[in-house]
Amino acid sequence: MRNYEMMIILDPELEERTVQPSLDQFLNVIKTSGGSVDKVDVWGRRRLAYAIDKKFDGIYAVVDLTSEPDAVRELDRQLNLNEAILRTKILRPGRH
Amino acid sequence: MAKAPIRKPKKKVCLFCQEKISYVDYKDTGLLRKFISDRHKIRARRVTGNCTQHQRDVATAIKNAREMALLPYTSIAR
Repeated sequence: MRNYEMMIILDPELEERTVQPSLDQFLNVIKTSGGSVDKVDVWGRRRLAYAIDKKFDGIYAVVDLTSEPDAVRELDRQLNLNEAILRTKILRPGRH
Repeated sequence: MAKAPIRKPKKKVCLFCQEKISYVDYKDTGLLRKFISDRHKIRARRVTGNCTQHQRDVATAIKNAREMALLPYTSIAR
């Protein structure tokens, strides 16, 4: 089990209140594999420093989770397949 | 002819060692902005006065922040 921090940039055209439920749906992968989601922090709409896919805004979300590495890899794969997600980043905090 | 007096540069102390910050967070753009120039280039250790380890941590944090569009790679307007 390892600690991860994941940052997700979602499409700005999404409704901000639908973000939380759709994230929960993605995070089911972690829960079913025995991991746990410690914190979900939705930053809301924020201006991007440069355009990604011709979009100048994005909805940011930061998720802290504890999980097996394989489950995290699967989560990242599924997120990247989704059209509504512009970008993801997974880090293990406290370790570079 | 009088020589220009040799100025002793003031020794800078690493901000992170001083404040005892061990982990440089890439989400803290306000802090990271101190370490980039107005052209959005990462400032050299000569300028920032950071120690080796913390300069490296700052650089990776800035690069992570750039990937997530929290900080710009370059300025768009020329």
